[in-house]
Amino acid sequence: MNTERPSSRWSAASGWTRQALLALGMLSAWPALAQDFLFSSGFDEPPEGPHTAAEAARFLTQATFGPTFEEIEHLRSIGYNAWFAEQLAAPSTLHLPYLYNLQSQGIEVYQNARQEAWWNGALAGQDQLRQRVAYALSQILVVSDQSGAIEGTPKGMAHYYDLLVAQAFGNYRQLLEDVTLHPVMGNYLSMFKNQKPDPVENIRPDENYAREIMQLFSVGLIQLNADGTPVLVNGLPVPSYDQTTIRGFAHVFTGWNWANCPRTNGGQPWEWQWCPIGPVPWPEPGWDIGWELPMQEWESYHAVDDTKQLLSYPGVSLPGGVLPAGGLARGNLELALDNVFGHPNVGPFLSYRLIQRLVSSNPSPQYVGRVAAVFNNNGQGVRGDLGATVRAVLMDPEARQLATPASGRGKLREPLLRVTQAWRALHASTGDGRYRAWNPEYSLAQAALRSPTVFNFYLPDFQPTGELSNLNLVAPEFQIMTDTYAARVLNGLGGNVYWSWIGNGGDPEDIRVNLAPGMALANNPSALVDYYSLLFTYRSMSESMFQTLVNHVSNISAGNDDGRRRRVQDTIWLIQSSPEYAIER
Amino acid sequence: MNRRELLRKTLCATAGSAMFTALGGKLQLAHAAVKSGRVLDGVDYRALVCVFLYGGNDSFNMLVPRDTPHYNVYATGRGGLAIPQGDLLPLTSLNAASDGGLYGLHPSMAGLQGLFGSGRAALVSNVGPLLAPITKTQYQNGSVPVPAQLFSHSDQQVLWQTPQAATANRRGWGGRLADLFSSTNPNQQLSMNISLAGENIFQAGESVVPYFVSTDGAEGFNFVTQPWEQERRQTFLALRDASYAHPLQRQYASVVRRAMDNEVMVNAALSGAAPLTTAFPDTYLGRQLRMVARLISARGALQMQRQIFFVGVGGYDTHDNQLTDHTNLLAELSGGLQAFYSATVEMGLEDSITSFTASDFGRTLSINGDGTDHGWGGHQIVVGGAVRGQRYYGQFPNLTVEGPDDAGWGQIIPTTSVDQYAATLARWYGLPDSDRSMVFPNLGNFATPDLGFMNPPV
Repeated sequence: MNTERPSSRWSAASGWTRQALLALGMLSAWPALAQDFLFSSGFDEPPEGPHTAAEAARFLTQATFGPTFEEIEHLRSIGYNAWFAEQLAAPSTLHLPYLYNLQSQGIEVYQNARQEAWWNGALAGQDQLRQRVAYALSQILVVSDQSGAIEGTPKGMAHYYDLLVAQAFGNYRQLLEDVTLHPVMGNYLSMFKNQKPDPVENIRPDENYAREIMQLFSVGLIQLNADGTPVLVNGLPVPSYDQTTIRGFAHVFTGWNWANCPRTNGGQPWEWQWCPIGPVPWPEPGWDIGWELPMQEWESYHAVDDTKQLLSYPGVSLPGGVLPAGGLARGNLELALDNVFGHPNVGPFLSYRLIQRLVSSNPSPQYVGRVAAVFNNNGQGVRGDLGATVRAVLMDPEARQLATPASGRGKLREPLLRVTQAWRALHASTGDGRYRAWNPEYSLAQAALRSPTVFNFYLPDFQPTGELSNLNLVAPEFQIMTDTYAARVLNGLGGNVYWSWIGNGGDPEDIRVNLAPGMALANNPSALVDYYSLLFTYRSMSESMFQTLVNHVSNISAGNDDGRRRRVQDTIWLIQSSPEYAIER
Repeated sequence: MNRRELLRKTLCATAGSAMFTALGGKLQLAHAAVKSGRVLDGVDYRALVCVFLYGGNDSFNMLVPRDTPHYNVYATGRGGLAIPQGDLLPLTSLNAASDGGLYGLHPSMAGLQGLFGSGRAALVSNVGPLLAPITKTQYQNGSVPVPAQLFSHSDQQVLWQTPQAATANRRGWGGRLADLFSSTNPNQQLSMNISLAGENIFQAGESVVPYFVSTDGAEGFNFVTQPWEQERRQTFLALRDASYAHPLQRQYASVVRRAMDNEVMVNAALSGAAPLTTAFPDTYLGRQLRMVARLISARGALQMQRQIFFVGVGGYDTHDNQLTDHTNLLAELSGGLQAFYSATVEMGLEDSITSFTASDFGRTLSINGDGTDHGWGGHQIVVGGAVRGQRYYGQFPNLTVEGPDDAGWGQIIPTTSVDQYAATLARWYGLPDSDRSMVFPNLGNFATPDLGFMNPPV
């Protein structure tokens, strides 16, 4: 084999190793035996690992939008510790500047542009860990352009997403506050312009944000033990709060409006009602700047007179969880967020969800407990350190050990992540660097900040009817794997590989994959399958699947480019469409 | 051990759990009843269509008192969100409303007004999840139990779709009916439960798993169907059908297998069926109901005699901008129901198909400015030729703020349970009375197991 490869080490070592193994009749042990031939020398192995290319690829599958050959090599050379340090220091790839850049070119900015910015961060961002965590957070602290309240503000939503990017390794208490006061969240869950009670008009404070910040962003409906299992009394779960608590928070979250509302007439009702989004009228630049600024308080609309029942739990700061009447809107909000953040559920609640997004649908309680302990105290007495929590999620033994198939651990890959993985592994590109995948939801039932409701694309406890239900395994991603999307996802992946490859003519705006590295291996079916097995399945595919693919590829004539390309395309798509790939373990 | 395991273990000894196994043993009895021949008007076909209004429909602004004394009570509670009295579409009913009032519909629902006036629609008032009848005093002092996690979207959606929400093994009542009736269908490959709106608990049975199509029909698999793709297809199938030790891998493979097996059959049947001339509104609901009608029109080729469909529309969580948003939603609902009923007439199946609404909850009578919050009970709509229409069923609630039916902040305590509403539909569908308590274990807590809005089973 004399082919060009992205890495010189790869071309130097692979050919003879593979042939030698074949000659020795050791193919049956191939995935386990030969896992390091790609990178067999050239650097000192970091003591903490990864110890093999497969381990590196598997880690990058969890921690990024998909491994590339180069990133596998890089991680192997520097090790996990240095890689984390690099990622924490990498500058953030943000969405809003991307939108402003398009706007400066005279391009009108709609939600399409926001999707482009998301692909840009996911595919090209060097801050891969940050991007991946932000995406996970976007499925917990959900807002969606499917809501009429915010669909018209792509820039505001980009700014909201940037909050998640910027604070992916920050403190959850701060993130909760920034999310709470963001006008996109304010409009999505109607805390914006929420007003104090008006008995004459039978107006009560809006309960929407009060309910969902507890149910979905922090505490959850039932009390949890430190390992995420439910607290049981007489065999039954115990509610974390009741309607009285929701009403208490609903009163807290009153009196917030656009930043810099003019109150030149002393804060009259019409000034509250008709407060402009920005300081200048439409369409002057800056007319909508309020979408990028935290909401500001109006004391006259804040429910100052009411005593507010907040969460009550052991060690709660406010006696009985009661916030007395009085105070100011901002101070009351701070106390209420402290009250939420201090609830013992938050650590296990958030840890479980982050593990589900990054590693596994059914983590053991011990795993959840270990991560939650880091959330509760990062080792320096700080609660809510997301950077430390994310590291605990990824470096836990349960995350780092390849799960056996029979263990049932792992998860169905999210459709969107199947595409980012392919496009990263295959170095997808476009003529001008813009990824115009504007409506991934058609094929994938997913797109960034585009879930049907605040309950995300799927519920954390979703169980498909049948065997998984009987085994008591949850599998959130199966909620969107209907018959329709079982087909559409594979069709979408196939379209990328079979039609949209570099060299196939067509529109320069198309996103095209680079099949050249595979083409160079196409004359050697085992090496070809192994190359993509590493990138897509961190060489976890079974021996029988490996052999099935080798046999399939060997039956395709490699006498010309079309045949070799068909070998490459079939290898990729048959992996992508296989049960072994679909389930990441 | 996780939450579900614990729940399962703790519930293992209860009667509710034992019923699951008991029902299995009774399947044959039920089938005997079915096969003894329940043929409606010479047509051996029956379908239920669940129209789920996700988010919680503000049905107190959908069906509104229009006589002045009752209207004034309503308007006091609703303040700035009250529908003007003169805008209501008057309903003329064959029976008196339980409170003696006159009622009207939201002005965007002319289609439903017509269905009601022609006897094809019934309105069931103030339905919600209950374990037993309950008064305000009992609710406040906790002397009568209520379902867990009332007022939460995700939980109340479950409570509407399964009468067994308290068990770990959640099965929807549409799924339980399908467990009983699916063997009636000559076609044993295609599920009798088809969803146009994705996953739902309503259609999940013990043995029956719903099948999903889009508003365009079934989705094909592009890269393994053409003559020149057969070698790839063989390898694809070999990988799909290999033996897998990982349960999630098995699940993935089984979904793909089912989707591929059904797609060709369903699309062939759809393209072979006579086209419908009924025009449907070009709304999300309209497109879903149009596909339901097309699937029913293809029932001959599909060899289906019993089917249960699920469609759904989101956006009903009108915490703000309600006056505009809700108007559009109700127009979509009314137009969709009307068109679908017309399509059933076109197919000559109007007496065999019943559509009905369900929703997380009704909404609070109190308002938050420009919207409403999560309530409890709410009004529902049932449409079809077998419906005893142009009538009101159940007790209309007292809409007085802090009145006898107000659990607080205008969350209206239901006066009819979901179980009663569902059991009435299930009985029409053919569920034998002897099996009723197994599907609806709490039904016995209520005086009236059949609300009477369906014509008696033939």
